[in-house]
Amino acid sequence: MARTPKVGVYICHCGINIAHTVDVEEVAGFAGRLPHVAVARHYTYMCSDPGQNLIKQDIEELGLTHVVVAACSPLMHETTFRLACQEKGLNPYQFEMANIREQCSWVHAAGPETTEKAKQLVASGVSKAILLEPLAEREAEVTPAALVIGGGVAGIHAALDIADAGFRVVLVERGPALGGRAMQLHKTFPTLEPVAGLIAPLIARLLGHPRIEVLTEAEVTEVSGYYGNFEIEVAIRNPQSAICNLQVGAIIVATGYDLFDPTALPEFGYGQYPEVITGMEFERLAAGGEITVNGKTPQDVVFIHCVGSRDAHRALPYCSRVCCMVTARQAHEIQQRLPEANVTVLYMDVRAFGKGFEEFYDEVRREGVLYRRANPSEIIRRGDKLIVRAEDTLLGEAVELPADLVVLAVGMTPRADTEKLAALLRLSRSPDGFFMEAHPKLRPVDTATGGVFLAGCCQGPKDIPDTIAQARAAAAAAMVPLMRGKVKVEAAVAFVEEELCAGCGVCAELCTYGALALHPVRGVMTVNPVLCQGCGACAMACPSGAMNLHHFTFDQVMAQVDTLVGHLS
Amino acid sequence: MDTRDNRPAALIIGGGIAGIQAALDIANAGFPVYLVEREPSIGGRMAQLDKTFPTLDCSSCILTPRMVEAGRHPKIELLTYSEVVSVELIEGETGYHVRVRRKARYVDVERCVGCGLCAEACRMHGRVDSTFDAGVGKRSAIYVPFPQAVPLKYTVDPLACLFLTRGVCGKTFLCKDACSARAIDFEQQDEFLDLEVGAIIVATGFAPFDPREMPEFGYGQYPEVMTGLEFERLVSASGPTAGKIIRNGKEPRQVVFIQCVGSRDAKHGHAYCSRVCCMYTAKQAHLVCEKLPEAQVTIFYMDIRAFGKGFEEFYDRVRREGVLYRRGNPSEIIRRGEKLIVRAEDTLLGEPVEVEADLVVLAVGMQPRADAGQVADLLGLERSDDGFFREAHPKLRPVESGVAGIYLAGCCQGPKDIPDTVAQAKAAAAAAMIRLAGAR
Repeated sequence: MARTPKVGVYICHCGINIAHTVDVEEVAGFAGRLPHVAVARHYTYMCSDPGQNLIKQDIEELGLTHVVVAACSPLMHETTFRLACQEKGLNPYQFEMANIREQCSWVHAAGPETTEKAKQLVASGVSKAILLEPLAEREAEVTPAALVIGGGVAGIHAALDIADAGFRVVLVERGPALGGRAMQLHKTFPTLEPVAGLIAPLIARLLGHPRIEVLTEAEVTEVSGYYGNFEIEVAIRNPQSAICNLQVGAIIVATGYDLFDPTALPEFGYGQYPEVITGMEFERLAAGGEITVNGKTPQDVVFIHCVGSRDAHRALPYCSRVCCMVTARQAHEIQQRLPEANVTVLYMDVRAFGKGFEEFYDEVRREGVLYRRANPSEIIRRGDKLIVRAEDTLLGEAVELPADLVVLAVGMTPRADTEKLAALLRLSRSPDGFFMEAHPKLRPVDTATGGVFLAGCCQGPKDIPDTIAQARAAAAAAMVPLMRGKVKVEAAVAFVEEELCAGCGVCAELCTYGALALHPVRGVMTVNPVLCQGCGACAMACPSGAMNLHHFTFDQVMAQVDTLVGHLS
Repeated sequence: MDTRDNRPAALIIGGGIAGIQAALDIANAGFPVYLVEREPSIGGRMAQLDKTFPTLDCSSCILTPRMVEAGRHPKIELLTYSEVVSVELIEGETGYHVRVRRKARYVDVERCVGCGLCAEACRMHGRVDSTFDAGVGKRSAIYVPFPQAVPLKYTVDPLACLFLTRGVCGKTFLCKDACSARAIDFEQQDEFLDLEVGAIIVATGFAPFDPREMPEFGYGQYPEVMTGLEFERLVSASGPTAGKIIRNGKEPRQVVFIQCVGSRDAKHGHAYCSRVCCMYTAKQAHLVCEKLPEAQVTIFYMDIRAFGKGFEEFYDRVRREGVLYRRGNPSEIIRRGEKLIVRAEDTLLGEPVEVEADLVVLAVGMQPRADAGQVADLLGLERSDDGFFREAHPKLRPVESGVAGIYLAGCCQGPKDIPDTVAQAKAAAAAAMIRLAGAR
């Protein structure tokens, strides 16, 4: 390097988060005596404006070449400090963060050992920092089009928004028809509108939209490329079967859900007694005219909540979010259409949490639907009736309820093909099996793969308004790069030291981004820096040490490790 | 703000997480954004929270990077300590003329460096209830709401400053003397700003239910009875007790949480469910178990509504940690010796019970802000029966307001947790961007 490094080190108190367990003054004093360190300071909140100003001022006045901030995880504030450096003309990649909060003050008690660990982390950060080289951030052009996978309520809304904003959209639906699960539903809760009547105009607008192309009976079979420029292969599997290749800048996954199969819980006799049906089957029964079972009008109707839900031992640990209200609406339907019928709902907790839901639940009870807090144990046949056996948990006693119709409120599960699509799009899955969002609180529609966004129940159970809100949120996320026309490309990518590379190709086999290829003439590997995401798998696998990673080079990482080990010995 | 390319701007009213998220999306797509916030800093309610459920992420740790990003975004102009005073349709209905009142901070924001010497010097130092700390902590009459405030500029509280309320502050202004940047200016007046915008997003948030409306719980009477929001500040590492759970100078040994205070009760509170209280109570109970492993924790509930991703699993975890969930409606809280007694009917046992408590936390719900009516009049919005702003269609149009070009985000439309708020804010941003792009 041309210049002798001149490092500024800044120790953050994080209010009391760090300062209560780490002696920040001592750490700053220690850092000030490290080689190449020109200045070391400590401050209450380095991320605040005055904290950042300390860095900016020192870059200007002392001519710092590198900056180290010892504070929280780089996931929190690396960007903040990089931008502060950049503002004063220092390359943002000459900044390094030492995590003395999550990796130190939060996990150790106050005391000299904790302060000692903070010092080591700071020293190792400085050792790496002085080897950091400037890297250039680049931007890639974005293909102004989007792919939407799934033609249900979520996919339709996302497609309409993106197309309305002026971009071309291709919507791929596996089935022959649009509208998804919602088309099977009879009415909405709590507003009691016919669902098909709400969705049909949207489908009409989708099909008539000049910027939307709909491919039904089609499946995405291959995805390559990167954020801003994906290459998609779609197989159309109808009589005119064909393969279609598309270029899009963003992808929205809106593949929906499956329903829990109640044959997994044999005590309810689903599949055995024709009078036991699922909530979705009830929707079709209610939509089809008269409500009859075995040719007769049911006198006693029992709804059972949480079938397959909230049962970590035998079925699904989670709550499916919609079944309470679907059941309330179905119970209301029976009450309205069969005023003579006795309607009982067996529940654990009634989850009426949305706008107007509690009010609807109150109304249904006022109409005469009996809610019993109970754990049903089995359904048996006695004469021409079914008997639902349960423990009423409010009475604390066993009860038997006669029934001519039993409706099981089955929950939602991830679609059977979730894993296949996850592999295709490099998506992670939550412990519940649904696709995982990038952050459960603040990034509910982003994924770990840049340019791929989630909409609707493929991310987790949701009702229609929440699905639509999330679909439009995913559309907004996709519209940002499409409107900007550019996306930032990772600068910390892999590179090859050609004189060491034997061209064995081990790295290319491991690369999930398709970023590595053998140079046909030179016989060495080459890195496509736009495809590379900087994961480092290739550098780890390379038998000859020819693959390396900018910003995490062997020299830089080993300097960091050596300093830590040096402290131990 | 960078408005060189003359694209139409969006106005966002409210600088909580909903407003910040909508602003970032629209600005990142290339449109100028005015983000108006009534308080001196953006951040909203989320900045007051300690940890978030069910992942226990520190709330301000995940929020402040977004605040910083909004604060320095070249396409976003923050108008903090400001209020929208009028909104009029532009002829041809292409957008709105908006007038914003920038309230006098009595501090020159160009000069203020946020050092805090003024607040140290203030005669009211440590004597003014901190609204940010929900009254649990104190501040000065000149203040920033919290250390990570964006912008980090001090503001004189006109209701607490001795000079502004009484006309005199000793022989000399201690704050002015302390300020080496010469930023304090008691001559400052409100200013008005006229904007032209193509779309408006309303993200004005909610107010917590005031439990004084249910006197049987003794809130305001017993210092050991506090609201969930107050507990957030009490348990927060950046709060006034540095995260120590202390009431009346002692660590509580018995802690009782009461759910649905003011919710699901059309007679004394609100008919509706506030959607977040079950989970924030579960999280708070977990924090008590973590910080006070000896404490007995009891939660009175009606129904547990653990409906989001990972929620049921978290509810299971909290019960495994030893939190006792009792299904029942507490009828009153009385004092007996040093203890409070929570009287309730346990509906599973079918009998009345009395539970001792050193600390009672009331899981108060969300209600429309007191000025929701004025905001509705200003913008021509309708309100639902519950008082929140009404969306154009409860199923299919959850972010449109019914007024062209005006969209709803976050809890001003109804109670929501953070991910649902973020999703709705982004959805409102999508709707606004389509209008701004004028492509339709």
